[in-house]
Amino acid sequence: MNEKRGPWYLLTGLVIGAALGLLYAWVVRPVQYTNTAPDSLRTDYKDQYRAVIAAAYLANGDLLRARARLELLQDPDLYRVLAEQAQRTLADGGSPQEARGLGLLAVAVGQSALTTPGEAPPDGTSAPAATGELPGSPQAEISATLALEGTGTPVLETPVLETPDITPVVTDLGQSTASPSGTPRETAGTAPSTGTSSPGATRTPTPTRTPGPTSTPLPTRTATPTQGAPFVLDRQELVCDPDLIQPLELALVQVQVYDSAGKPVPGVESVINWEGGENHFYTGLKPEINPGYADFAMQPGVIYSLRLAEGGQIIPGLTPAECERTGGLRYWGAWRLVFVQP
Amino acid sequence: MSRWIGFILAILVGAAAGMLYGWVVSPVEYVDTTPQTLRVDYKSDYVLMVAEAYSTERDLAKAVTRLSALGSDMPAEIVRQAILFAESQGYTDADVALMRSLWRDLETWNPALPGQTP
Repeated sequence: MNEKRGPWYLLTGLVIGAALGLLYAWVVRPVQYTNTAPDSLRTDYKDQYRAVIAAAYLANGDLLRARARLELLQDPDLYRVLAEQAQRTLADGGSPQEARGLGLLAVAVGQSALTTPGEAPPDGTSAPAATGELPGSPQAEISATLALEGTGTPVLETPVLETPDITPVVTDLGQSTASPSGTPRETAGTAPSTGTSSPGATRTPTPTRTPGPTSTPLPTRTATPTQGAPFVLDRQELVCDPDLIQPLELALVQVQVYDSAGKPVPGVESVINWEGGENHFYTGLKPEINPGYADFAMQPGVIYSLRLAEGGQIIPGLTPAECERTGGLRYWGAWRLVFVQP
Repeated sequence: MSRWIGFILAILVGAAAGMLYGWVVSPVEYVDTTPQTLRVDYKSDYVLMVAEAYSTERDLAKAVTRLSALGSDMPAEIVRQAILFAESQGYTDADVALMRSLWRDLETWNPALPGQTP
């Protein structure tokens, strides 16, 4: 009788043992995550972590510390990830202030690869100068963009109209997907600070012990950006470039802001108004184009006026204008407004 | 009798093989975790970031929202724990002061009061 059973009892024992092991591991004492590092966070929590890093950077201007914190997330390309999250935040209707912080930090991180750490200003009115270029780096892309603009290379199919008093052909095709609906600005609440007690008041810090990994970077406060003259409109032009504007159904207002040294300025707030609405947007959220660049999608048939929040003239009468490609195909052009600091 | 011994040995070998697989061949990799599970130094630095942002934003509701990622404890308690860690680890006075300021405001924060509602 026993001879017929063979060695199957061993296999049965193995299966029962494995089952008991799994029961113990999955039910009795399941894995509990503790002492994890930020790089293991779920994607949405990583986004939240980055947003808080950017908010802290806006507050203290400490790029060295912000970089150290970002590196904890082990993102392959800090600059790219921050810039994408900034755009995603705006697209999802998130806080403009949060998007601005992410965009400014992206620009600072991109530039810091070529400059001394801790020099990037949070308000971006005096961007640090690049000391060189690395192939494929964000700064290299930015420099390439500026060089192209500086030479005025005629890459456009239809000549750029240089005069600000141009009267464009305005048509309402009713096809635009742009929405002029304004994103409500975030308002900061306040809370009184009346507490007098403090936790752990009797504890004595132990200066000889090494701080945790994330507290290692020492504060390197950034100098307050110098205030300059208000930005003035240098150029208003209708850009007709089917290769430049994507997607074609969007009619954009493109704002570019440069300081007196000719450097693009991120973080400049633009205010655009139309009948019954208003929106605010910031330069620097698309650093892959230009750190001083921002755009807004207009809706056909609506007339807009734009000004920089930091003062300066109002640019009235902005409305989608048509361009015509060779062969008769019509598409929306983009109004490019270039502001400079005299 | 020998069969029983063999059976029990097979169970032990199976369990050992499972543990070898789980601990050596394919150990646990932490992915998709939540901020609650962060190590205490990372949590403390997160609180410091919130305090740094709060120092200029002065938006207590936003600070509370950010702190809520660290768990269901009261925000003031989360900050208090971070302060204790910061002091024990020799954070700079400026950093500790920022966290203390946030903690004091959280101690007196009442979301039911006008102007303090998120």
